[in-house]
Amino acid sequence: MRVMIADDAVLFREGLGRVLEAGGIQVAGQVGDAERLLALVRADPPDAVVVDIRMPPTHTREGLDAAQRIRAEHPQVGVLVLSQYVEPHHAMQLLEDGTSGVGYLLKDRVADVAELVDAVRRIAGGGSVIDPEVVAQLFGRRRTRNPIQELSEREREVLALMAEGRSNQAIGDRLFLSPKTVEGHVRSIFTRLDLAVTPDDHRRVLAVLAFLRA
Amino acid sequence: MNPRLRLALALATLVAGLANVALLLRAGDDREESLVYLVITIVGVGWSFVGAGLVAWSRRPENRTGALMVAVGLAQLLNGLLFNGVILVRERFAFALWFLLATLPEGVLGHLIAIFPDGRATTRLQRVFIIANYAATVPLALVQLLLVEPGRLGCTDCPNDIFGLGGRDRYGDVVLAVSDLSLAVLTALLLWIVVMRWRHAAEPRRRSLAPVALVGIVLLIVYMTGQTLKAVLPDPPLALEVGFNLAILIALVLWPLAFLAGLARTRLDRSAVGDLAVQLGEALPPGRLEQVLARALHDPTLQLAYWLPDRDAFVDAAGRPVELPAAGGDRAVTILRHDGDPVAAMLHDAALDEDPALVRAVAATARMTIENERLQAEVRAQLEEVRASRARIVEFGDAERRRVERNLHDGAQQRLVSISLALGIARSQVGATSEQEMAVALDDAAAELRLALVELRELARGIHPVILSEAGLGPALVSLAERSPIPVTVTAVPPERLPSRVEETAYYVASEALANAAKHAHATAVSISARRLEGELLVEVGDDGVGGADPDGSGLRGLADRVAALDGQLRVYSPDGKGTRITAELPCGS
Repeated sequence: MRVMIADDAVLFREGLGRVLEAGGIQVAGQVGDAERLLALVRADPPDAVVVDIRMPPTHTREGLDAAQRIRAEHPQVGVLVLSQYVEPHHAMQLLEDGTSGVGYLLKDRVADVAELVDAVRRIAGGGSVIDPEVVAQLFGRRRTRNPIQELSEREREVLALMAEGRSNQAIGDRLFLSPKTVEGHVRSIFTRLDLAVTPDDHRRVLAVLAFLRA
Repeated sequence: MNPRLRLALALATLVAGLANVALLLRAGDDREESLVYLVITIVGVGWSFVGAGLVAWSRRPENRTGALMVAVGLAQLLNGLLFNGVILVRERFAFALWFLLATLPEGVLGHLIAIFPDGRATTRLQRVFIIANYAATVPLALVQLLLVEPGRLGCTDCPNDIFGLGGRDRYGDVVLAVSDLSLAVLTALLLWIVVMRWRHAAEPRRRSLAPVALVGIVLLIVYMTGQTLKAVLPDPPLALEVGFNLAILIALVLWPLAFLAGLARTRLDRSAVGDLAVQLGEALPPGRLEQVLARALHDPTLQLAYWLPDRDAFVDAAGRPVELPAAGGDRAVTILRHDGDPVAAMLHDAALDEDPALVRAVAATARMTIENERLQAEVRAQLEEVRASRARIVEFGDAERRRVERNLHDGAQQRLVSISLALGIARSQVGATSEQEMAVALDDAAAELRLALVELRELARGIHPVILSEAGLGPALVSLAERSPIPVTVTAVPPERLPSRVEETAYYVASEALANAAKHAHATAVSISARRLEGELLVEVGDDGVGGADPDGSGLRGLADRVAALDGQLRVYSPDGKGTRITAELPCGS
């Protein structure tokens, strides 16, 4: 698998490259800004890109804009956006353009090599990855009427994992449940929260997040 | 005053006076006192009071002083007619009628003195005096007629029992002594009232009061001394009595003239309006106008306050807020208007309300200058406000920097130091410990690092929410709501981007209001809306908490400063127990 990295902090960029290569991923290019990343991708599209949200020249949302352009120009390239802080707004923006092959993670996650490599692989494979911090923030949100309270403990765990973009298979592996049981929980959650059932694992992440933000 | 009524009263007075003179001439030698003395007593005093009273009545129709003066004069003339009638007809019932009404002029006079120059009783003491004073006229005379031998009352021809009721002079001594004593007490009371009035009067009132009070006091002293002597000496020498009577007469004739003199002194002030116009022609240094007006109106306590429309308040020349006095006190207010809008207020002694025309004339003369000073006061008030707000903003910035510094040192830096220490220890133990122990030490360091990162992130967000500058007010408000410890509904956000200063201020208003709702108001629900309205952004934050927020507390004060820096306006509605609603109107410059 080939991956390109864009981050203006050289030390971090090279560390990240080393971590990915240690995980068996080939780093096909490293750049310090969005323009050069776009040029690299156009020249030879990789399986995925890992891009920092804040890069020169304005250090605001260059990474996010680049991610959206790459997804528009090369839908088959997975995009993982890294950020120093999590913002549900950003996650939603990425997902609204299509939920396959996209990820949004806190930079801190690079410390866990296995998690990071797994995320890059999932994205390259067309999956979606949302940082647990985003989900935690939305779960923690105070509401005057909170339907999440009506779910069972197990159902809440399943809901959180769905919001992180995990498939039924992955949820079952995590919680040591059979795929059938997970499916049952998912149906029950959708009924209780009054959500339209989406058969697609990947597209439901958007529905769940939108529900949590509402 | 109705001109016809005035003419009628003047004619009645003239006729009554002339009739008195005719009767006096007719009575010839039957009277004890000289003709001149009686003419002065009756006609002179009567005409003098009615004349001066009519002048006063016309000039101050709302003030009862003039009417009472006319009443004193008419009572005196009526009294004279009855007195002369009694002498002519020598009939006991005629005497009784005259005797009943004989003290009425004094009674009305006492009333007049008690209420001058206000024209109405203002204290309880005055009201008590007026009632007691009238009780000592006709009612007291009736008691005397019933219980005292008529001879001792002045009717030598009358039978001992005028009404044939069989009441001889059984209580005569007691009744006469009590009557004299009560008269002395009433007189002393009246003197006390006048003295107190003088002591409490300010300069302008004293000026019109002075001539009247002077003659009045002389009159009272002479009268009181006479009454006291009469009470002490059972049979006073005739010369003494005549002397006192004469002194009282002269004072009585002069008294209405003294009132006219008092009026004339306020009329003299009208020339001061001319002087004022000249003085205003020269350029006045700021703040001097107040002094010039004080001199023109003879009220050193006069104060000028200027209206600031955007603050809905009066301020002095230096821009400090001024409270207007409540109605009915010692201080009165004259509001100067331009096209119906207030321009300024003159705070002055209530006595100046006696002559509102003069105050208005002075105000009209000074209006241009007052307008100028008002503009200057407005600028100064704004300057003072800007200075105060600038100081507060600097102070707030300093406090904020101290807070950030403290959080950095006590939080993230502390953790980084301990991680550095832990790594140092781990490095020194390489080879000396098992691989497992080394892994635990490194995991601990990593966990500590994660906490440091979390703290740094929170701190950075507190200093400035990146989402605001990057995605705009809408997403930033939604994000704020998502992080809030109490349920927040964002009901409206502007779809477009706004100037960053507007967005930042709007966000700051919302986050500060939200923090207050959580921290102080114990709210359970908050709603936030931000809407564009005709070139303005209207931010509204409402909660269902305990209310009673203090708009001058440091938090809301800081908000108001920030909003004012954009020429916007912050409003806080926070009635006790009814929740808090904070609105900010922010001009968007488009």
